[in-house]
Amino acid sequence: MDVFFQILASGLTLGAVYAISTVGLALVFGAMNMLNMSHGALMALGGYMAWFTMTGLGLPPVAGMLVAVLVCAGVGVLIYLLIAGPMLRSEGFETRVFIATIGFGAMLESVILMAFGPQPKPQPLAVQGGLSVAQVHLPVQNLLILALAMVLMAALALLLQKSRIGRAIRATAQNRDAARLMGVRVGMVYALVLAISGGLAAVSGITVSSLSSLLPNMGGDPMLKAFIICVVAGLGRVPGSVVAALFIGLFEAVVQYTVGVRFSFASLLLLVIVVLIWKPQGVFGRHQGVRL
Amino acid sequence: MSDDLVISDLAAGYGHQSVLHDLTLRAQAGRLTAIIGPNGHGKTTLLRAISGLIAVRTGEIRLGADRISGLPAEAVVARGIVHVPQGDLLFPDMTVLENLRMGAFLPAAARQEKTVLEEVYTLLPKLRDRENQIARTLSGGERRMVGIGRGLMASGRVLMLDEPSLGLAPIVIEQIYEVIAGLRRAGRSILLVEENAMRAAAIADQVHLLDHGTLNWSGTGAELSGRPELLETYLGV
Repeated sequence: MDVFFQILASGLTLGAVYAISTVGLALVFGAMNMLNMSHGALMALGGYMAWFTMTGLGLPPVAGMLVAVLVCAGVGVLIYLLIAGPMLRSEGFETRVFIATIGFGAMLESVILMAFGPQPKPQPLAVQGGLSVAQVHLPVQNLLILALAMVLMAALALLLQKSRIGRAIRATAQNRDAARLMGVRVGMVYALVLAISGGLAAVSGITVSSLSSLLPNMGGDPMLKAFIICVVAGLGRVPGSVVAALFIGLFEAVVQYTVGVRFSFASLLLLVIVVLIWKPQGVFGRHQGVRL
Repeated sequence: MSDDLVISDLAAGYGHQSVLHDLTLRAQAGRLTAIIGPNGHGKTTLLRAISGLIAVRTGEIRLGADRISGLPAEAVVARGIVHVPQGDLLFPDMTVLENLRMGAFLPAAARQEKTVLEEVYTLLPKLRDRENQIARTLSGGERRMVGIGRGLMASGRVLMLDEPSLGLAPIVIEQIYEVIAGLRRAGRSILLVEENAMRAAAIADQVHLLDHGTLNWSGTGAELSGRPELLETYLGV
């Protein structure tokens, strides 16, 4: 029974980390059909910004989080202004922006490498210590990550469902021309969506690095998993991707305990293959029927 | 007079393809102006050019004192031109009520949202019953009504309707046209694009025939009915 709770706790933490990185990707894809391949580099940037603010400048953790989120949100806007915006009306937008963001991500990673060097650094924005409930040991850091993820998801859901700007985002996602006819400035919506996604990438980068360490290419692996989760959930389904992230976190924890850590990524990919055979549009996805 | 929609020497199209040319038109305020003509001759393009969804190449569009041409779509609707597009273009994953509320997205319309919503529900009572239904699950006629209702929510100065009878059963077309007739009686400025010439002629104050990208004939609905050769040449009826 203790083992069960231990797996549950580590699985949920893993899922929460995945959820934060996945939701940013899903939001951008859902709103503008854009796969942002520089999401991983944004995660690394966020982690390093927190490190720089706290270790470099000696500021408190809140400042570290804030600077990381603001810088990455700003880079999100930059991605809109330099890449997505100019391409938006061109043919084959999805393919072009996919390739262009790979390039942007590589550049960003190189800048981080040049600025901070290739050696791993510890993430200062982390909490030591743990709680022991019965025989289950829970690191405080993991509990914080879980709580943070839940607060962020709830805030995002509230923003999308209840606010005026959230209605504009959903309208733009569902029908761009119709949204413009309602008076929605879709350029602003896209810039904002990329900024939110950038901010989420920063938080995600901080959580990932707090569980391991900072490296310029640390975003690659979590981004790959975030894409896998997006595909499993159905591309662009924001609430679905949260559920899928938690499920995959649990799945990975179970596999790691029962079969072994070295099989966890392989079984994850196997799961994706099975899901895509069973439901090619993703578990929560829908066929985009031809509109007449 | 001050709220007339005036189009002068308009040219517009898509990419390298030119669709409209030398198009001059005045849609009087408080009247129902109909654009008829065969499919693929630029009726929808005209509305898309007015609402700013496609760029105007040459010429000018004015609403009263405001110059509309050259503005992006989100600025055109803020000037009071409301486009109810062909095929409705609803927000498929929103409810009927959410769709209607999107119509009043701009601050000026949002301030009177509650009042206008009641008016829309009075005009289209079926929408009140379907308030919480997701738009993608509606029937064709209901979708059309949501599209028109959403347009009305903007409280604009001119309402542009693109083929409101398209793809509907005759009995539903009848209902939709009753609604349009009601809007006309209420003194709304309406620009109606319709392939069904007789339908449009029966309801319009002024009819314009759009053929090969330019206006070919203009007159009242009654005058059109008295010109069978026009209908035969251009519309095959």
